[in-house]
Amino acid sequence: MKILAIAWKELYTTFRNRNLILLMFATPLVVSTIIGLAFGGDGDSDTPDFANIPVAVVNLDEGFNLQDEINLPAGITNPDALPFDPNDIVFTIGDTEINLGEQLNLNFDGVSLNFGDQLASILLSQPIAINNTVASAGIDSTEITCSLLDTAAENSAGNFSSESALDELLDATAVADPDVARAGVEEGEYAVAVIIPQEFSRQLTPRFYFEDDGRLRSDLYSEAGAVEVYANSGRAISGAIVRSIVEGIVNQFGRVRVALSATLETSVNSLIDSLEGGEIDVSGLVADVPAVIANLQPLTADALEPLGCLITPGASNITVDQQPLDALQEASRFARITVAIGSSQAVFFALFTGIFGMYSIYEERQQWTLQRLIVSPTPRVYLLAGKLLGNLVVVFVQLLILLSALTLIASIVIGEPTFVWGSNLALIFLVILALALCVSGLGVFVVGLAKTQEQVVLFGPMINITLAVLGGAFSFSLPERVSQFSFIYWGVDAFTRLASSQLDGATSQQAGIVALFNTDVALNLLVLLGQGIALFLVGAWLFKRRMEL
Amino acid sequence: MQAMVQTQNLRKTYKHADGTSIEAVKGVDLEIHQGEIFSLLGPNGAGKTTTISMISGLLTPTTGDAVIGGYSITKQPLEAKRLMGFVPQEIALYPELSARQNLLFFGKMYAMGGKALNQRVDELLEFIDLADRQNNRIDTFSGGMKRRVNIAVGLLHRPQLIYMDEPTVGIDPQSRRRILDTVKQLRDEYGMTVLYTTHLMEEAQELSDRVGIMDHGAIIAMGTQGELTQQVGEEDRLEFTIGAQTVTDELIERIQNKATAVTRVLYNPPEQLSEEGSESTPARLIAFAKRGRTALPLIIQILDAAGIEIQSVAVREPDLEAVFLALTGRALRD
Ligand SMILES: Nc1ncnc2c1ncn2[C@@H]1O[C@H](COP(=O)(O)OP(=O)(O)OP(=O)(O)O)[C@@H](O)[C@H]1O
Ligand SMILES: [Mg+2]
Repeated sequence: MKILAIAWKELYTTFRNRNLILLMFATPLVVSTIIGLAFGGDGDSDTPDFANIPVAVVNLDEGFNLQDEINLPAGITNPDALPFDPNDIVFTIGDTEINLGEQLNLNFDGVSLNFGDQLASILLSQPIAINNTVASAGIDSTEITCSLLDTAAENSAGNFSSESALDELLDATAVADPDVARAGVEEGEYAVAVIIPQEFSRQLTPRFYFEDDGRLRSDLYSEAGAVEVYANSGRAISGAIVRSIVEGIVNQFGRVRVALSATLETSVNSLIDSLEGGEIDVSGLVADVPAVIANLQPLTADALEPLGCLITPGASNITVDQQPLDALQEASRFARITVAIGSSQAVFFALFTGIFGMYSIYEERQQWTLQRLIVSPTPRVYLLAGKLLGNLVVVFVQLLILLSALTLIASIVIGEPTFVWGSNLALIFLVILALALCVSGLGVFVVGLAKTQEQVVLFGPMINITLAVLGGAFSFSLPERVSQFSFIYWGVDAFTRLASSQLDGATSQQAGIVALFNTDVALNLLVLLGQGIALFLVGAWLFKRRMEL
Repeated sequence: MQAMVQTQNLRKTYKHADGTSIEAVKGVDLEIHQGEIFSLLGPNGAGKTTTISMISGLLTPTTGDAVIGGYSITKQPLEAKRLMGFVPQEIALYPELSARQNLLFFGKMYAMGGKALNQRVDELLEFIDLADRQNNRIDTFSGGMKRRVNIAVGLLHRPQLIYMDEPTVGIDPQSRRRILDTVKQLRDEYGMTVLYTTHLMEEAQELSDRVGIMDHGAIIAMGTQGELTQQVGEEDRLEFTIGAQTVTDELIERIQNKATAVTRVLYNPPEQLSEEGSESTPARLIAFAKRGRTALPLIIQILDAAGIEIQSVAVREPDLEAVFLALTGRALRD
């Protein structure tokens, strides 16, 4: 009863404060609507409003020759010293004749990997040049599958078309000189310059070397080549879009390189095992073709699978972060954008409510209403509980109102009532509640932890902004690993998933994407509730002290 | 008479962040009788608020305890708190809420509710004459109106005992008059016990049955007004406001010797007297005399002869101010 009265009072006083209302509602709505419109257009036209971002692509990548890096075991100083000429060896897989020399060249000589070319081609929406790869070595590229790709993408493998979604989004131009590109950005000719560094391929490629035991080992560079995305500060959104696209592609390369190094290691090592174990008689190699073939099995289509992912033209296509782009073409882009941007902005602004709602304990002390409460025959625990409950409810209501208002705005922009958050109301509510718990819990925690009022004012916003940056509320995406530190990430991710599951009925041809989006939000809820409850409990324990005079 | 509030050796030491500490209340023993208005009179910083905070359960005493209507405030705080109403020195109201909402909210904190609460709120709004403004936000009220609501909140649950900490600070004379009348009404019509703190001698004088004079954290005198003034004897107090001329020690000595009835002369006390309207500290000369009216012409003569300009003269009979002055050598200051 008393607890409810206090909670109600918190809610009521908050919503009577005009400045707070402005900060809690007007600002986030305006911000998300502006960003939403910038990203999403009005939902009616076919070409996105943000389409044709002028991008300068500078590819400085020198490529990377595996042989340059490979560290042959002491016994074999160079491949010419082999007791046979690999080029003499020809065998067949299925109907295809394969020249072993060419195959080996793939690994040791002649093949220069150039990830920069691939990245540039993707950005420029050009077909990827296929030179001197497995495909030209005699294996039909369609035979090489790539299990890293999801079904939808796999189906399109081999049908690479330059008419990708990116083509609409970016108006990319190849530029040779990075300084020219940067100057172009400064002058407004380009919104963004993407500069692929010299070392890009080298750093993406695993480093192979033979150890003393004659085994092939590989190291991954800890850092993937840093592609510079140089954006005009006046076009932050364009910059953010391009940055996230580039990151998406580079991350895909990263996944491939891990698979590549593992596969090459096992393939080569098993070949060496066979040689050492005498299963293959090197001197009589030509006579022993079937054995060689058997042992070369790892180098056939299956073994090359990861490499296939890398070089199969159709497969490379997937490296463009395609899901959001496709989804944008889908239903209404504005609705989609509203979910991601609106929910992160809503949470970001709720963070301030969470902290400054609890901060009001200092105001209550200054205006002596806290003292008046303490003097009343009310146990402190009730006062604490009322205050916490009030804050939680305020944050929850704020999120609820913001999301509802965003629905309204989205509906108006789209021109018809659209419930952008998906159809699973129960789950949506649960996510909001879990988020409110985190947001409010953080407020309790921060105000409880801070020793003085000044510390709250100083550190509160810093913590909020950090969480928002990590969680992607400012639309530059950080690596997922990092983002996961922020509960904003988990919340926005949950909303996106829930919203996207709505597409299920609408578009069945998007099976792959829907399947992805359809994934449960169970993990999100678990993370959010866990964090929220933990913050609340620890926070309440800390905050208790703030009620002492 | 039965004791409503009784304190034993109440002490409060505030520790500052820099390690130093200040003893704000130094062992206060009080007894407030049922149905009386008891005033704590003392200058700023005397420790009045700290004392009231301890006997209302707001602050934990460093040592000592207070018993309210039979309940120890430290051991049975909830029972003790039910007996008391509290009117803090500050306007302890939510500015965003209306007068009525404030009353309703705090009523709930005293476990009131429903019809009974609504009725009580109506009654109090009439009592403080704000029924017509009851739905306006507190932050639209004048200082005097806020003060009245502040008092009403303390009365919500019809407590037997009410603490009022300087309830007239910062308001106009008319509002002050109303409040002083209200306080008397509480005692006379409702039989309430009132603990009233003030730094204004006149208020204590007008209201109190008994007075405790506080200075530097200690009660330096306590009793009825008659008992207290008797402590300083029957001396009148002659207060001269004088010009900027220097008054020599020799001159003071002359006044003390020539004007036979004069027992003591204070020149330009460091603090100004707490008289209303007094502004920057003027030079003051205060003489204590058994028969003030006989001594007055003599003193005027001496000052005139010394070429000292006399701006005003006042003869005061023994009062609480005199008691404070006699006990501390200082005036109560504003
Ligand atoms: N929270 C606190 N921390 C440290 N010192 C304090 C605190 N509260 C009061 N004091 C000090 O204790 C002393 C007594 O203060 P108190 O407020 O009780 O005086 P008061 O008689 O009510 O004065 P006033 O007439 O100005 O209200 C003062 O010196 C004051 O500075
Ligand atoms: Mg005080």
